Amino acid sequence: MVDATIAHFSYSHQQIRKMTIKTIKLAAMAITIAFLSSCSDDDDKTDSNPAPEAKGNMFIKFQHVWGPAQADFNLNTALVHPGSGEELQFTKLRYYISNIQLQNANGDTWIEEESYHIVDAENMAGEEVQLNLSDVSSGSYTGISYMIGVDSLRNVSGVQEGALDPAENMFWSWNTGYIFIKAEGQSNASPNGSFTYHLGGFEEPFAANSSMFHDFQGATLEISPNDNPSVHLIVNPARFWHGGFSTEQTPMVHMPGEMASDLASNFAGSFVFDHIHN
Amino acid sequence: MRITVALALVALLVSCQNDEREPPTSEFSVFEVPAHFPDPVYDFDGNPITEEGFNLGRKLFYDKRLSRGSQVSCGSCHAQVHAFADHAVPLSVGVDGREGKRNSPGLYNLAWTEAFMWDGGINHIEVMPIAPITDSAEMDIALADLLDYLQNETEYPQEFGEAFGSTEISTSNLLKALAQFQGAIVSDGSRYDQYIKGLYIPTEAQLRGMALFEANCSGCHGGVLQTDFSYRNNGLDADFTDLGRGRVTQNSADNGKFRVPSLRNVALTNPYMHDGRFFTLEQVLDHYSEGIVESGTLDPALTNGIPLTENEKEDIIEFLYTLSDFELLGDLRFSEPAK
Repeated sequence: MVDATIAHFSYSHQQIRKMTIKTIKLAAMAITIAFLSSCSDDDDKTDSNPAPEAKGNMFIKFQHVWGPAQADFNLNTALVHPGSGEELQFTKLRYYISNIQLQNANGDTWIEEESYHIVDAENMAGEEVQLNLSDVSSGSYTGISYMIGVDSLRNVSGVQEGALDPAENMFWSWNTGYIFIKAEGQSNASPNGSFTYHLGGFEEPFAANSSMFHDFQGATLEISPNDNPSVHLIVNPARFWHGGFSTEQTPMVHMPGEMASDLASNFAGSFVFDHIHN
Repeated sequence: MRITVALALVALLVSCQNDEREPPTSEFSVFEVPAHFPDPVYDFDGNPITEEGFNLGRKLFYDKRLSRGSQVSCGSCHAQVHAFADHAVPLSVGVDGREGKRNSPGLYNLAWTEAFMWDGGINHIEVMPIAPITDSAEMDIALADLLDYLQNETEYPQEFGEAFGSTEISTSNLLKALAQFQGAIVSDGSRYDQYIKGLYIPTEAQLRGMALFEANCSGCHGGVLQTDFSYRNNGLDADFTDLGRGRVTQNSADNGKFRVPSLRNVALTNPYMHDGRFFTLEQVLDHYSEGIVESGTLDPALTNGIPLTENEKEDIIEFLYTLSDFELLGDLRFSEPAK
């Protein structure tokens, strides 16, 4: 460091002029290269990538059911909780599904980039909400992993885009972090007539994001360029009120903590793999 | 060097005329890390400051259209003449005359701030404005509604386009523009800074105050920013109407704790404490000397208070005055832009 400084001071004017000319020449070269590369045609790209990996499309279908009988579940529809007998109806059910990965029999993994999705029961077609995954590497997959919620990194990295846009209203402004699961509705048993669960929190001991893995139980998900296979999962929102929870005792949770973590873990416990449709 | 830049500019202009508009890459140095400051926390590499982005953030900061019914702007409660704190009121007033719950802090050196608000509940400078924008007692507007509104204003789509390359206004670009402006506000022009650089000789009273401050206050208000960024209960109340840090952590051991603030510009940002209960520095020092109230989470360092004589208090206040950065108050880069 010191040597370099001394050396620098010892340059003569002539040397400096030479260096300046050299700098300009270098800059001119760099600009020429930049010129050539920045305005290249699109078809150059296919040339440089002669054998693109085969990709396909797929769906994950979340089928919402109610209770052990797997009765119909719909928003704004009267439901009776099979355990507590509470009469309730959902007006909102939204949750994050993130960090989706597929495993194949060789132990290889396909990882979705920017893997953040909101499943919104508003978008149910029949009983299902589907997520569309594109550019999945072709292959035979034997299992899927994902997170219900958002990983801690994206909770601490400033403003995010896409499904993580704070304008999605799945974000706490005063206590930074994503609301992983929003469940709202009415209940006859609740002291205020409603239940409002805003569940989140990425810090231990009350982290409310759940890492999930489902083995396809001998079936394989076949991804290829021309097919649209799907993974069917069953989600049972009655499971929020498991292990002693009720809307009477717990009408509102709207910050991270033990309650949020327990309710989120109850909900995650309801996610089961049902079948593959190739 | 100039020739190089000129060549580069010409090359840029001629080479990509048919490309889509790209975000500006011009060098614009409004943010510099003072030599005597630690490394900043916020990394502008992910949100490079450009003249267009900074000026857009500056305009947004002072624009009342960011609130419901165009009633208040960020600058309404963060006034440059008060080092971007409110106008000497304990609690700030938002839309429809609604009063907030805590005192508005001064805004400077935010690039060195790890957590925001009196309870540290907000963990990143970019998402910090979401709280005041959406809070019903502050600007009271939903993000989606605000984006719609700005998108339909005549000038904003173009200005976002110039700053970020897209005329479609997103939450991300809105907040990044605000982070470029607010993050660039650096307060390093106080006499204390000049003293550190060997450019100012303090008075006898200021030197005595500095020594007293080091001995009695720097345990919490240490370092060149006069804060250890911790949360502490400084003995204001026996019972807590505001749980402070405890509300965020859900840990009762944190009840009644609040952020140890930087003391830069402290003489310009009265009143003091999270609820603005003390109007003068004299009242603050009286509190630490004689007014500490016992409670379960009281900071151990304050169990017996910090006994000070009246002369010692005066000397400490003389020192605190040296933390005022009058350059900041008149820095036109950060002032409200002409309409």
